[in-house]
Amino acid sequence: MTAPERAALFTESACGTNTTKTEKQRKAGCPKPKPGGTSGGCTFDGAMITLVPIVDSAHVVHGPIACAGNSWDSRGSLSSGPTLYRRGFTTDMSESDVVLGGEQRLFDTICEVVERYAPPAVFVYSTCVTAMIGDDLGAVCRGAAEHTGVPVIPVEAPGFLGNKNLGNKIAGQALLDHVIGTVEPQDVGPFDVNLIGEYNIAGELWDVEPLLRRLGLRLRACISGDARYRDVAAAHRAKATMVVCSRALLGLARGLEERYGIPWFEGSFYGTRAMADTLRGFAALLDDEDLTRRTEELIAVEEAATEAALAPYRERLTGRRAVLYTGGVKSWSIVSALQDLGIEVVGSGITKSSDGDVEKIRELLGDAKMIKEGSPRELLRVAEQTGADILVAGGRNMYTALKGRLPFLDINQERHIPYAGYTGMVEFARRLDMAIASPVWDQVRRPAPWDAHVAGAAHGAEAA
Amino acid sequence: MARITVAERGATIDPLKHSQPLGAALVFLGLAGAMPIMHGSMGCASFSKALLTRHFNEPIPLQTTAISEVTAVFGSGESLVATLDAIRKKQRPEIIGLLTTGVTEVSGEDVGGRLRAYLAAWADADAAAEGDADAAPLIVGVSTPDFVGGLSDGWSAALEALIRAVIPADELDLGDPDEMAEDLDDRAEGRTALLAASASPAAAHPAPVGHTAVPDQPVTRRSGATGATGATGSAGGDGSPDLVAVLAGPGLTAADLDELAELVRSFGLTPLLVPDLSSSVDGHLAPAWQPTTTGGTTVADLRRLPDVRAVVVAGGCASAAGELLSARTGARLLTHRHLSGLTEMDALVSELMSLSGQSAPRSVRRARERLADGLLDAHFVLGGVRVAIAAEPDVLVAAGCLLRDVGAEIVTAMAPTSAAVLGDAPFDEVVVGDLAEFATRARAARAELVVGSSHLREIAYRLGAAFLPLGFPIFDRLGATLAGTAGYTGSLRLLIDAANRVLDHAHGAGAHGAGHAASHHAAADHGHASDGHASDGHPSHGLADSPVRPGTASTGSALEGGRSAEDLPRPPRATAEPDELDDLFQESPC
Repeated sequence: MTAPERAALFTESACGTNTTKTEKQRKAGCPKPKPGGTSGGCTFDGAMITLVPIVDSAHVVHGPIACAGNSWDSRGSLSSGPTLYRRGFTTDMSESDVVLGGEQRLFDTICEVVERYAPPAVFVYSTCVTAMIGDDLGAVCRGAAEHTGVPVIPVEAPGFLGNKNLGNKIAGQALLDHVIGTVEPQDVGPFDVNLIGEYNIAGELWDVEPLLRRLGLRLRACISGDARYRDVAAAHRAKATMVVCSRALLGLARGLEERYGIPWFEGSFYGTRAMADTLRGFAALLDDEDLTRRTEELIAVEEAATEAALAPYRERLTGRRAVLYTGGVKSWSIVSALQDLGIEVVGSGITKSSDGDVEKIRELLGDAKMIKEGSPRELLRVAEQTGADILVAGGRNMYTALKGRLPFLDINQERHIPYAGYTGMVEFARRLDMAIASPVWDQVRRPAPWDAHVAGAAHGAEAA
Repeated sequence: MARITVAERGATIDPLKHSQPLGAALVFLGLAGAMPIMHGSMGCASFSKALLTRHFNEPIPLQTTAISEVTAVFGSGESLVATLDAIRKKQRPEIIGLLTTGVTEVSGEDVGGRLRAYLAAWADADAAAEGDADAAPLIVGVSTPDFVGGLSDGWSAALEALIRAVIPADELDLGDPDEMAEDLDDRAEGRTALLAASASPAAAHPAPVGHTAVPDQPVTRRSGATGATGATGSAGGDGSPDLVAVLAGPGLTAADLDELAELVRSFGLTPLLVPDLSSSVDGHLAPAWQPTTTGGTTVADLRRLPDVRAVVVAGGCASAAGELLSARTGARLLTHRHLSGLTEMDALVSELMSLSGQSAPRSVRRARERLADGLLDAHFVLGGVRVAIAAEPDVLVAAGCLLRDVGAEIVTAMAPTSAAVLGDAPFDEVVVGDLAEFATRARAARAELVVGSSHLREIAYRLGAAFLPLGFPIFDRLGATLAGTAGYTGSLRLLIDAANRVLDHAHGAGAHGAGHAASHHAAADHGHASDGHASDGHPSHGLADSPVRPGTASTGSALEGGRSAEDLPRPPRATAEPDELDDLFQESPC
């Protein structure tokens, strides 16, 4: 990918955040990583997050062992069938490969993988080292595709380009350029839809897809949770696209619209309000009277059932206080989900949110509750100051909370529990309640026996 | 004597290997108040951090210089400086390990030179400012390119670099005006991974003993007054009468290190563990959160290294550092390629007896008696069992030897990288390769017990073999660091665990498969029906989400190029003495 091509990824007309940017801001692209002050993943990681959930494909990492060796078989995306995506394929470049160039090894690796596993496609990822030494990923992939007869897709997203967000964008562009439109489905229907940015973390897709099916909607392609390569390749024949909680992949949705005339909307599966909006969003785009009616019926039925299931939790959770730290759409969609349960959000991190997201948080919470620094120390300070009952954040902050003896709920992609859809909402409430009400907190907050006589009063108070 | 075979290098499939910087970071995670920094892209640190977190179930301090495309090409020096400045100011670590990665090694930059310049400037500033306490961590730069070696090599490199930094060569030869001349020569000739280090703390005043000791004054630029303040007496070997350095490899768990330290203590000696993962990432609820490691070898401990009387090396990964420490202090060197099993432990205890002039205390004798008895009990179960094991070299040798000690047959031994310690292993062959190769070989050898990291669980399942989790990473169960694998007691724990895995497997065939899918969605009920796409069709590995497959006990399968995925029959389990087994365990419920 050339620099101008990459720059084009930052001109996203469909993105509200992007269109309000000045030319200069846009040129700056993603925020530059700050040395010594960052902890997120790299561009390569982002590209893998977006593409690895295509479960029947082989994902080959061209680089030294660090990139694949430390990351394979660690993603939370689940598959209902093929498991090839979980395996670690890499060229494991040695010093001599670095000196002599790694193109031949990459070619041989792709061919061997195709021969042994017969995947429908191979995704090949460049890394910092192979980008530095100038291996021509595109040429090798073309050659290997010719040789094997299997699509071989180059994904040029070396880690040093920046953050994960950029990797998501590059991956989306790779799908547009090399995959989507290469397969013509034989069974095109009037209610075929795509999901973009849904990775089936903890099997969330499986809580949502049945709802779509009940409305008569067929999932043409999910990009890319539990996806099959040929479904993704046929995504251009869907009638509507939903972008799930992902600003980074708006470019892909817009590409589908521009190239194939597929309308799209942004939505979320988290919370009952968001679910209703989402289902109505499909109905609006597909513009079918009967579908609209059935959608309203489904929403009514599901909301009633969810309300009933949530009632006992709402009773227990009302008045509890939560500190939230996440990014993107979730930073406000989870706020509303928490508020739905009667929980007071006493702080929400904004360092990972776009300006538009921050605006929505401001509407929901007001200025004072926005946490402007994401360090563990600051989160714990806010939690203590506000008397928070729980920290709701990504897995990276789990130990921040636990070491601070603060209940914690993981809501990011590493988690193992699905929170999407109506059933997910109930599960979310159940897990919040379980986390806050767990018997462990009283125990770990007790002073040790040798401290107890010093803090005798406190001990007595806690015991009572 | 093992024959070392390097598997033919084709595609690497399911790598067993981890990167050098990861191993080096582990060393620094065993030092107190430490912050390892990976000099590379953000992903270098974040992937490592995620993996370490999954293994230890602990927060892992690990930072990055966040190299960008531009800095990678035009020079990463500024990122390096900005990172060190930011971390010294914000996290205030006492020790910083700066580790290079693939991207910063491939550009051919002089990272060491840049770091030396930084340290020199900082030292000058310090001298002017009369020592700002926060401005003076011990900084050790280590060369750890991703494309050379692996985790064990990174550990060795970092440990050796640490020793070099703490006891520079010129402490031996005070007449030499050229500071660190030997180290620099070594560096020039590629004999050491030490890029640069801030001044040695070794010559400073003696500090209080104990792991909780906090240096009561900052590590300052090495005073030239080594002779005056440093009653190190390092060259003569007549240091502190009871101080014993214990240099461990990455294979030892927190439980192992605890036992080892206690053993040394029981002879009236004082152990000094370098590094000490048993007090940092062992899983403990510290009084308060902090951004750096909450335990481990302190700077004060490191200062005492010149005074050690003996150096115990536990594992091949620590041997180079041990030799160096011994050479530079004159301390007696006690090298052990591992400490699993009776024989190696007896050797260590003999040495400690001779060192201390004391006989073994009651607790040690008792532990030995238990291990001896456990060896006898376990040999019925594990005798003749065909074992396939894949692990870092030290773990491979330790666990392989222990299992062999009770009569198990090591039919497949695989290491991610080559190492000297492998050559001495009592196996026929050690293969250097990946896990796809391992699975093929283990199947051909009809392995009955698979030993290794969480990545191997699925392989064991597919082979119909029992599985013993060991090594790194263990991410699908808790407490890996608290399970002993060495010492009299830890060896016994590992043996019993191995034997019980084999017994459980014999009784409840498929027991380890049943729990797999339970916590996940019953996958077959969801999503896409199989729609005839060309699919992987190969046994795939690590499929915690795959549908439940009952562990049937049919026999007579033929594996064709590793193709049949879901329905591999379980080969019949054959132990050496089925009759004895029956007699011993006939009452066990099946």
